[in-house]
Amino acid sequence: MAANTDIFLFSEKPVLQAELISAAHTLTAQTGGQVIALVLGPRPDAELAFKQGAQQVFWLGELPPDRLVDDVVPTIAAAVQTHQPFGVLIGATVRGRAVAGRLSARLGVAALTDVLEFQWEKENLLARHMVFGGGAVRVDRPLTQPVIATIGSGIFDASTSLTETSDTIQSIDWVEPAWQAKLIERRARGGGSVNLAIAKRVVCLGRGVAQQEDLAMIEELAQILSAEVACTRPLAEGLGWLPRERYIGISGAMIKPDLYLGIGVSGQAQHTIGMSESRVVVAINKDRNAPLVAQSDYAIEGDLYQVVPALIRTLKARKGK
Amino acid sequence: MKIVVCAKLAPDASDIEVRSDGTISLERAEWRIGSFDLQAIEAAVRLRELNGGSVTALSVGPLRINNSKLRKDLLSRGPDELVLVADDKLLNADTSVTARVLAAAVQKIGGIDLVLTGEGSSDLYFQQAGLQLGELLEQPVFNAVSRIEAAGGSLNVERSLENETEVLDVPLPAVLAVTTDIHTPRLPNMKEILLASRKPVLEWTLEDLALADGEKQRVETVSLRAPHPVERKRILIEGSAEEAAEALTAYLSKEGVL
Ligand SMILES: Cc1cc2nc3c(=O)[nH]c(=O)nc-3n(C[C@H](O)[C@H](O)[C@H](O)COP(=O)(O)OP(=O)(O)OC[C@H]3O[C@@H](n4cnc5c(N)ncnc54)[C@H](O)[C@@H]3O)c2cc1C
Ligand SMILES: Nc1ncnc2c1ncn2[C@@H]1O[C@H](COP(=O)(O)O)[C@@H](O)[C@H]1O
Repeated sequence: MAANTDIFLFSEKPVLQAELISAAHTLTAQTGGQVIALVLGPRPDAELAFKQGAQQVFWLGELPPDRLVDDVVPTIAAAVQTHQPFGVLIGATVRGRAVAGRLSARLGVAALTDVLEFQWEKENLLARHMVFGGGAVRVDRPLTQPVIATIGSGIFDASTSLTETSDTIQSIDWVEPAWQAKLIERRARGGGSVNLAIAKRVVCLGRGVAQQEDLAMIEELAQILSAEVACTRPLAEGLGWLPRERYIGISGAMIKPDLYLGIGVSGQAQHTIGMSESRVVVAINKDRNAPLVAQSDYAIEGDLYQVVPALIRTLKARKGK
Repeated sequence: MKIVVCAKLAPDASDIEVRSDGTISLERAEWRIGSFDLQAIEAAVRLRELNGGSVTALSVGPLRINNSKLRKDLLSRGPDELVLVADDKLLNADTSVTARVLAAAVQKIGGIDLVLTGEGSSDLYFQQAGLQLGELLEQPVFNAVSRIEAAGGSLNVERSLENETEVLDVPLPAVLAVTTDIHTPRLPNMKEILLASRKPVLEWTLEDLALADGEKQRVETVSLRAPHPVERKRILIEGSAEEAAEALTAYLSKEGVL
């Protein structure tokens, strides 16, 4: 096991950790090293990483409930300096972005953000990601090592095939950060945790939905379709009708369901970049010139307040048969 | 409280032109203050209004950011002064270069209690520069900050994560990247616009910041292209709501997605 070929990965979100493990395997297929999961949390979380396909697990320990995941930065930095991996993949959650940025500044290396795909050009790693709010695709080559990259949910499929693993969890010494912010309170936000990335059907609402009460109607439709409810960014951020986890797009979730149904969604690039790989795209919009209509397989031109109830009735009748 | 607010001046993404070979051109794009940095400016100005102190706007980039229109636009939104680090070596600067230049400028300004950044720049939107800046300054740094209140020598801060909100006590000096919904940016009024031209603008070069290799990139861009459009059937369903619902249900059933 030579240095500079292993890939580290870190995410505080177990589902994303599984996806990062499979992303790391695509890299070690080229570098030849090992996939090493850095795990912060209870010991069973460390064991989970093996089940998800990690070849080694570095356990960073468990934080008391009043400490922040952000405090892990110096510990990961020390592990990277000791072990010298080729790359460090980090889940692009809010905390993950903070960890990646701080880690890269501390190590004096580049951070590639929201990577959609890795490519190899001989032994050089290239990463593809979006700029200009989804208006352009950029391929970047990092000139420093280790390569730090953040990857969002739903970009890489979690692999199910298990690899040979050592099964021994290696404990990593905790490095206390130089500063700490005090956690005063943690408030859960409604909506429950969701993994849109694996949803087969997604009903996405946009600003065409006039008021929060109307969500009930959309939820009824979603239930009949066995679909997850998602939204555009203004509904999650700004209006706060749905948790941030449920908005789709360049700064939100990336999805590739069998069915995407956009209701009152205009279809700006920042949004459509997150759903353009859906198998069947449907739009309900009163404006036939909305960009999403041109990017859909089926579009109903009409008022969602008439079309959605009609669709609920039709689908119910179909089910009844 | 002495505040610096970082705002990127960048080409407007909606002005991108796609050439026939799929490459893109920004030649005709208008340069503006990043739409997500306006909220950071607003947050800085409100903190000053409530707690006193000063707000310095800071922007780094190629020479073209140093023009009177952009300067006025920034200053009419409430900052007391503007620091511009303009150098054509900073055209297409990567995030690590930007963060190093911002850090050097913040240190040169000196005595800063709080640095605010936007959620992400309007062109790259990597959401990174502020975090790297904070780490370089070796100060507490957080992203996704949706509320800030001064509380003695520290800040009471709300941070919006995917599924929960954290309330933190952050010691000063600190660096915070704010969300796009922290405040609605105000529109500059006539008085502010007139006042803007009388506010101080400090123009610095990379040499002024004594940046040995501050301009050395850590990322090289290989290509920049318009995304491939996905082919769609584009069937438009018209008629009454009932007819449309029936038609769509039939299509979706045929697609096997019901
Ligand atoms: C850097 C950047 C990043 C961004 N990231 C994201 C992101 O990740 N995700 C995201 O979603 N957005 C993102 N945005 C915002 C994005 O640009 C759009 O503003 C947003 O997606 C629009 O949301 P919308 O379609 O719900 O609203 P609107 O654009 O306001 O569209 C509403 C639509 O509803 C239709 N409508 C209205 N009433 C009815 C009715 N009664 N019946 C039927 N149709 C009706 C209208 O015709 C219209 O097409 C980002 C923006 C920037 C600048
Ligand atoms: N060239 C710049 N000048 C001033 N501030 C910047 C610059 N680039 C980025 N920033 C700040 O850093 C934030 C994050 O930028 P980015 O990492 O590019 O998304 C932006 O919202 C700005 O507040």
